Amino acid sequence: MTFRQQIEGLSGQNTNLCYQCSKCSAGCPMAEWMDLKPAQLMHSIRLDLEDRVLNSTAIWLCVDCETCTSRCPQKVEPAAVMTAARVLATQKGVTPSVKEVSIYYRGFVDNMRLNGKIHDASVAGITQLLTGQLRDNLPLAWKLFIRGRVKPPPLPLGGGEFRRLYNSALAIEKDREERR
Amino acid sequence: MKYGYYPGCSLEGISVEYDISIRNLFKLLGVAVTDLPDWICCGTLAAPSISRLLGVVTPLWNVARAEEEGFDQLVAPCSACVYHLKNAVRQVADNGPLRDDVEAVLGRALNDPPVVVHPLEILTNDGFESRIRQLVRRDLSELKVVNYYGCHISRPADVMQFDDPDNPQSMDTLLGWVGVQTLEWSGKVDCCGAHFSLIKPDVVVDLSARIFEAALRSGADAIVVACPMCHANLDTRQTRLTEKLGRSLEMPVLYFSQVLGYAMGLEPELLGLNKHIVDPLPLMLEKCRGRQVEISSSARTEEIAV
Ligand code: SF4
Ligand code: SF4
Repeated sequence: MTFRQQIEGLSGQNTNLCYQCSKCSAGCPMAEWMDLKPAQLMHSIRLDLEDRVLNSTAIWLCVDCETCTSRCPQKVEPAAVMTAARVLATQKGVTPSVKEVSIYYRGFVDNMRLNGKIHDASVAGITQLLTGQLRDNLPLAWKLFIRGRVKPPPLPLGGGEFRRLYNSALAIEKDREERR
Repeated sequence: MKYGYYPGCSLEGISVEYDISIRNLFKLLGVAVTDLPDWICCGTLAAPSISRLLGVVTPLWNVARAEEEGFDQLVAPCSACVYHLKNAVRQVADNGPLRDDVEAVLGRALNDPPVVVHPLEILTNDGFESRIRQLVRRDLSELKVVNYYGCHISRPADVMQFDDPDNPQSMDTLLGWVGVQTLEWSGKVDCCGAHFSLIKPDVVVDLSARIFEAALRSGADAIVVACPMCHANLDTRQTRLTEKLGRSLEMPVLYFSQVLGYAMGLEPELLGLNKHIVDPLPLMLEKCRGRQVEISSSARTEEIAV
């Protein structure tokens, strides 16, 4: 399977429908920080430029705001393509070009595995600790705490259902991958 | 109509004031909601960034649970939760093989799952106008706000099936019913940077600066939101915006449920109005003409029942 086909399989999108109007890039709130703008990323996928796409900052900087998807005149969903590229990069072990974002997603899902729900203050605290931002955020954390908006972490007693979903979903995908 | 309630993780933590205000507003309006038992996080963008199947199955576990409970609709106040729940339903509807995988993981079939809705959908679609108008107890006609819808109230249209993705109106309509002045402005559907607040706060500061600039230009006293993430980003980062905007900023950011509840005479504590970083109460008191005695929501519910 070519790279383009892998992305299309995961995202359910036909990148050949894109006619490069760049409306997606124009409306993207994160475009100014991206190396490949959404329309360029779409085209790079069509050209099977796997390294360029999977190493781009774009796939990690996309916040899934859905502006691109909402405005695309060809009804292509660049946001879904971005997410698919992120999954592929992870599956293929490509070092994330924006490390902080992958730390956050990983930490978030790991937190879900403890309890099924996340404990928002621990996800925030751990992300900020690992990305060196904890000190800057302590005054705000204190303000939230005195307003009763920081809950104590729950005992890790729930989450059994989510762990089951997690193990089962990843096993199915791994099995598919191996058979290919 | 049997409504299930899916609070989502933020409403149990940092956005507790949204939870309090929505529950008390619903009580006042006679909307009975039952919490979805043992719900799990919708996974937001994190689960689908790790695995496609996990990203779909996690929200759907909750939808399937809601079906089991016999709910007609599942209400989720967080617009990101609503988006992930609705999007997962749509993805399996269009994709047979994915649906098979999902049902294999869930260990059950999805037959007739309840519709997922944001509270704005219930309040604007389900015939609440006259009740809301009747319940107004405080005159807020001096209060000028801009409504900030952010990303997922109505975008993408195919998934959300609610309001206009480019020029949404639901909050403007609702606040109009209680007599608040809602202004036109250019920031309605811009993105605040969402979870990047925890990852790259500078990006969020840049994006929210543009939102505040537009709000200030319009002459608004406050910004009204319907999403816990939008609220957290706009309410908590204002001190960092001072430099960027060249002026100090103390603009209250309120949930639509707090404004509605306040107009209907609920006490500030019943709306979590005491929990914000930028205290909205001085503004509310200043703008309120013709104040009525505040009534607790249980007393009001009895009053309505009579
Ligand atoms: S908006 Fe659609 S058609 Fe235009 S460049 Fe982007 S993906 Fe292609
Ligand atoms: S979904 Fe991603 S790529 Fe699309 S406009 Fe938003 S941030 Fe940009």
